[in-house]
This record gives sequence, structure tokens and C-alpha cells, in this order.
Amino acid sequence: MAGETTPLLRMEGITKHYGGVRALENVRFECDRGRIHALLGENGAGKSTLIKVLSGVVQPNAGRILLDGRPQVFARPAAANEAGIACIFQELSLLPDLTVADNICITNPPMRFGQIDYRAQRKRAEAALAVVGGEDIHPNATVRDLPLSRRQMVEIAKAMAREPKLLILDEATSALTAADVAKVFAMLKRLREEGMAVVYISHRMHEIAELADDCTVFRNGQHVETFTAGSKTDNAMVEMMIGREYQNAFPPLTRAKPDSEPVLKVENLSWQRELNNINLELRPGEVVGLGGLDGQGQRQLLLALFGTLIGTTGTIRIAGEAVDITSPQHAKSDTVGMALIPEDRKHEGLMLPMTVRENLTFAAVDRMSKWGLVDRSAEEAAITEMVELLKIRSDGIDGPVAALSGGNQQKIVIGKWLMNKPRIILLNDPTRGIDVGTKQEIYQLLRRLAESGAAILFYSTDYDELIGCCDRVLVLYDGTVIETLAGDRLTERNLIAAALNITNTRDLPETVQ
Amino acid sequence: MTGMTKSIKPLDKATTIAFGCIILLLGVGAIAEPNFLSATYLVQQLQVASFLGVIATGMMMVILLGHIDLSIPWTISIGGMMATGASGILGPELGVPLAVPFGIACGMTVGLINGIGVAYLRAPAMIFTLGMNAVAQGVMVYHTGGFAPQDSGTPFMRELAVGHLVPGVPNPLLIWILLGAATVFVLTRTTLGRQIYAIGNTERAVFLSGVNTRRVLVICFVFSGACAAAGGILLSGWANRSYQAMGDVYLLPTVAAIVLGGTNVLGGRGRYMGTVAGVILITLLQSILSVLQPQVYFAEFGIKLPADVFRNIVFGVVIIGMLLLYARGAKVQS
Repeated sequence: MAGETTPLLRMEGITKHYGGVRALENVRFECDRGRIHALLGENGAGKSTLIKVLSGVVQPNAGRILLDGRPQVFARPAAANEAGIACIFQELSLLPDLTVADNICITNPPMRFGQIDYRAQRKRAEAALAVVGGEDIHPNATVRDLPLSRRQMVEIAKAMAREPKLLILDEATSALTAADVAKVFAMLKRLREEGMAVVYISHRMHEIAELADDCTVFRNGQHVETFTAGSKTDNAMVEMMIGREYQNAFPPLTRAKPDSEPVLKVENLSWQRELNNINLELRPGEVVGLGGLDGQGQRQLLLALFGTLIGTTGTIRIAGEAVDITSPQHAKSDTVGMALIPEDRKHEGLMLPMTVRENLTFAAVDRMSKWGLVDRSAEEAAITEMVELLKIRSDGIDGPVAALSGGNQQKIVIGKWLMNKPRIILLNDPTRGIDVGTKQEIYQLLRRLAESGAAILFYSTDYDELIGCCDRVLVLYDGTVIETLAGDRLTERNLIAAALNITNTRDLPETVQ
Repeated sequence: MTGMTKSIKPLDKATTIAFGCIILLLGVGAIAEPNFLSATYLVQQLQVASFLGVIATGMMMVILLGHIDLSIPWTISIGGMMATGASGILGPELGVPLAVPFGIACGMTVGLINGIGVAYLRAPAMIFTLGMNAVAQGVMVYHTGGFAPQDSGTPFMRELAVGHLVPGVPNPLLIWILLGAATVFVLTRTTLGRQIYAIGNTERAVFLSGVNTRRVLVICFVFSGACAAAGGILLSGWANRSYQAMGDVYLLPTVAAIVLGGTNVLGGRGRYMGTVAGVILITLLQSILSVLQPQVYFAEFGIKLPADVFRNIVFGVVIIGMLLLYARGAKVQS
């Protein structure tokens, strides 16, 4: 805000499109020396894209970046590095088979007579580890052997070894233990005293309350507001993050008969450390949503129900009977009657070079064949019916699926499973990356399927969708159903509060686990 | 519209190129040696091609899955040696009538182990089948005590390899035609065929569609072992004997024939007609190189090469050249 001095970093009018999708629209962002600037927003608000632009990973379509008042173009990540920008990404970027010291010095190892000077490298790594509070990590340990929290500390040390002017942390503390978080916070506060600029992204509100000097909220690829930390309540910040208007038309809800027997009942389902004692019930005619932040176990829950995870514990009851679902083959059988629409349609849902015909009937082809021989006319009839039902637009059913639009591809993934007439339908973010028109068709389809008696479990990263489509929403946090929202309580504010594990949005969330 | 015509068209680009090369080769051969276009020569070439064709049929299924079967050479030897040695192992009463099924069963056993290794133990097919090739070699050397086996084929094996059940059509060619027709049927009309192509494209999607992908893998590896063994049996019937390492010269031609026919080495795409064209092309190339002796012309420029060395070089260059041609074509299309 200080107009008289130039801030260390200034980004102006940054715009980034991915195809037709607008990731960032005319965004500005500033960060000055000796400040920790928190970047807030929902999944898909544009935070990560901004960081990628800043670190040279992607190129903006428009806008400019000023560092110390001088315009910069970061064509490659190395250029951003040289300018003094270091970034710690959420996904780890370490090479697992090299040592800690190798990783820390990978971009610029100390050289002696044309060879890497291992002693100097080790010293440099030790120093970097000491700065971040990771003295317990041996520089010659292989990264693969370290637990996740240690690896993340190495990642932070690696960024520090470049002696940056601007440090970016993108969810960098998500895998750390509480003790490590305290160490990293102490380091960040010290660096702030020393005049470093820090951009901090986190979904944990209490971390932001503790660290941040300034906050900027992004929503839907746009800059909403920048304000001094502490000048707004948590409530107000959450409202800023969600306060967007969407024109998605959702079909009216029809209440399921609450007295009907659950077709799917899950008791104490656990898997490794990613699913912890999940309990849920699903009745015929019901659309139940799965909410929460990305990566809280929603995908694992769907995969576990579909029989693809080994070593799950707990009980799954189908129409009252305990069933141990061992494979997708078993899950789709008539005794279980389950279908899973996977999240990644290109790698999990479709065989892209193969034809619409082959893809559409693939899961149900046994029903249209005798002794392994495909009955062409039965297949043709089923395809015609499904193409009409889902309004699939293609150049003919013998063309490759790869030539179809994303929305039509997604319809084929759904249609492929409807051919089996499942009674339990699991959907993993089925509307991601498809156009609004197709989204609405999918919402209507889900409603029709529910009305005809199917039970639907629906994971979405889009809160509007959960509110508009679902009778109930289960919010997952850390592999557990932390909250069930229905009726009047099913609001965006409650969804976000539960996703962030804030028990009451009126309280300051200092008691968060 | 383009998609429609593409799948209805009987020949794809690679197959067309391969058949074009066959005609070109015949033309070149005919200029030097008019006998090249005689029916006798052509039928004889098709008979020789049948051995490779039978072997390549099994391997093609494995390659369509995105895997490879490098145990082909010694599975061929096992097929031939076990069939000729059947009377010694099973006794003359059983061994003579069961020689052929016994040889094929031994090949299927190798394929079964390959299939289990790749599908259930999740071993990379390249390493596992290469290892199995060495194991098969060891077992055969142990079985024969290191000497060439003395057994000759049964009369039935001899008849299979050199006889004519249909006048004018050598039996191996008849076998290849029947096997090929069955394969085309399975690939295009059955659920198994679709699953083979689908696994080669996106195995994860196939698994999540509730298909037992391991079963498909095992079936294809067993089929590959059976085809290799059948090839070995035909070869030993033809030569009226079996010998160690009789399959060693078949690995490169087998892979080359399949790939020249347009099958994607990474799986998921390929037509059986392409493999047919590839097999005939490879066979003709080998034959023409040995008949025309082109190395003689090079000797005039002071480059003296033994015939087999020259043949190998030409062979390799042609394969690499055609692969580059296909790769360019694929890039332009996409």
C-alpha cells in the first residue's frame, strides 16, 4: 500500500488462460521485503497458477512482473531462480534416489577441478538444514529412505540453499508434524526480520492468523481484496473466498424416502492412514455428496468401496448383507451392482484411440455377448439407446473417442456404466473441466437416476454443485467424516468451515487440531 | 466421417506400405531372375513364410497388450525338441500319436509361467521372458546332455510340414491360414479381442471397468507359447529333425514382421493383415538377398562381405528405415 517505495515484487494485469478456461484474469499482486503475505482462496481460485507464473513454470498470456521495480520475464524456472525467487511446491520435487546433500545443491553444486566437491556440498547442505531446523537429517541419507515430513524439510532447505530474496510456500507445511511446523514458523519469522519477502499459501486458517502480515483473497481467477492481517474476522475472510455467483441451474431436489433400507452401509472403513473409521449410509433415491478439501480421503473412499484397495478394514453392507468387495469385477456384478465414474477420464475412464462403440459398451459387453462373442445387433441397440439418453454428440459410433469434446467424453464414461444398470453409483468429480451445458445435463441425469431408484455417492470439488445436487453432504477431513450437512445447514459457509475443520465460524479457530 | 471410413477400410496405411514393398521386391527380383514370378517359387515362399507367420501370430497378441515375449527362440526349440523327443519321454505307444500336442503343451507351459510372472508378479515382460528364454535353454541342454537330439519327427509331423492336404496348398500354409482366420475372428468379434486392444491402450481403465486383466494377460502369453511351439514343431517336421538353438534366428524376424505390419510396439493398435504382410515381406527379403547375392556388386568396390553378414545389415537397415517411415507418418496424422 505504501505508494512512495517500490515493493520487491509487483505483478500487474496477469492473465492466464488454459484453452477456454480462465485461470487468472487481470490479477495484481504485491509482496514487500520483511512481510509474510498470505494468499487465500478455494481450490481452483487461481493461487497455484499465480505461483506457477511467478516461478517461471507457465507463461502468462498478459501482464508483467516487476522485481525491484524492474520488469522481468521468466521463460524458465531457472530464470526465476536466478532472479532470487525460490518456490516450495505442494508436490515434492526431490529426486528420491539421490542423497539429501545432492538434492539441496542440485541446481548449482560446488565444483572443484571440474568435479562435484562432495565435502563442500555436504557443508552447504548442513548449513541449509540448520537454517530450517532440520539438523537431525543426515546430509548423506538417501531421500527415498526419509519419512514424508523429513522430505518436506529437505525441500524447504533446498529452497533456502539458493539464498532467495522471495520465498514462496505453496501448502508446504501440509505433511509436516506439529514440531516441524513450529520450527519452520520460527524460521519464517526470523527471515522476515532479516528482510525476506515470503508468499504463504495454506488452507489452515490458524497458520495464517499466526504468520501473515498481509492477506490477499483470490476467487475464480480474480483478485478480490488485499488487506492487513487481523483486520478481518475469519468469517469475513471465508465469505470473501466463497462470495461468487454461479448461474448453474440445478434440478429441484426430490426427497428420498428416509424409511427405506440403506442399499450401502459402511461401518468403520479404514485403509492405511488415509481412511480412518468412515461410517456412512446410502439409500435408494438419494444423492449424497462428499465434500472437504482436496486430498482428505475422498478418492480413496470411492476406490475402497469399488474394491481396488488392498488391506481395507471395516464392513461394507450391500442391502443389509456384509460383502467383501475384492475387485471392480466383483463390484460391478449383479450381487453388488456398483459403478465408479473415475476422476481421470483420459487414463481411468476411456481408451482414447478406440471407438465410441467399443468404449461405450466396454463395461457391459458381457451382457451383449454369448460365449464371448459380441452380438452386434444387441450392442447396436444398446448404443443407440444410450446415445439418445445422454445426447452424446459424435461423428458416428465407429470414430475414436479422442475426437470428442471433453463433455461428450465424460458422457461416454457415464454411459458406459449406466449400461450395467447399477444400483449404487460412485462419481469422482465428474464435472471437472467440462462445459457448463454438459454439467447441467449431468446434474439432471443424476437426479433422474436417483428418482429411478439408484443411490448416488458424489465427490465434487465444487461447493455449488454439492449444494445444488445433493440431499446430504458428508465433509471429509483427514480421512474421516467430520460433519454431515443437510437441509438448511447445507450452505457454502458451513461446507468451507467444516472442510477447514473450524467447528464454529464465530470463534477464532485457535482450538483447531 | 473419417473415423467411419478408417475402421471399415480393410487395409491401413502400414499394411498398404508393406504390401507395396512386397510387390516392389518381387519386381526387382523378377528383373534379375524371371523365375521369381513363377507359381512354384511363390508357393514355396509362402510355405517358408508360414513358419514365421504361425510364430508371429502368438507374439502379436502379446505385443498388442503392450508387452513382449522374448522367450520365443527357446520356446520354438522346446516345441520342436519335445515333439521329436516325445516317444523317448512318453514311450513309443503314447509318444508317437501325442508328439504334436505334447510339444505344444510344453510351449504353453513356458507361456503360462511368463503370463503368471507378468500378470501376477508384475515383473516387466522384457526381463521376465528374457529370463525364461535362458531357463528354457538350460532345461533343454540338460535334457539332451548337451548333444544334438537324435530323434527325428514322427511321420505325422513330417506330413504337417511338407504334405498337401489341399492340392497345391502346402500344409503349413493351410495351418497359418486357419490360425490367422481364427485370430482375426477373436480380435474383431469377441470380448477377448476388445479386451486385448483395450489393455494395450489404457490398462487402468480396463481394470476399473471390471475386467479381469490378469486373465487376459495369461491367456495371451499362453497363446504365444503355443504358437512358438507349433512353429518349432512345423520346422522340425520340415527339416525332419530338431536341434538346439533352432529358434534363435526367429526372434528378430518375428518382432520385425509384426512391427513392419503396423502394430504399435507399445500396444493397443495393429491389424492381423498387417502382420501377414510383414511376415511375407520379411521372408521375401531374406530369400531375395540370398538369391541375388547383392554383396557381389559391393565386392567390386573393394567392400568384401560374407553373404550372411551382408544380409543381416540389409535386414536391419530395412527394418529401421521402415520404422522411421511409420513414425513420421504417425506424427503427421496426429
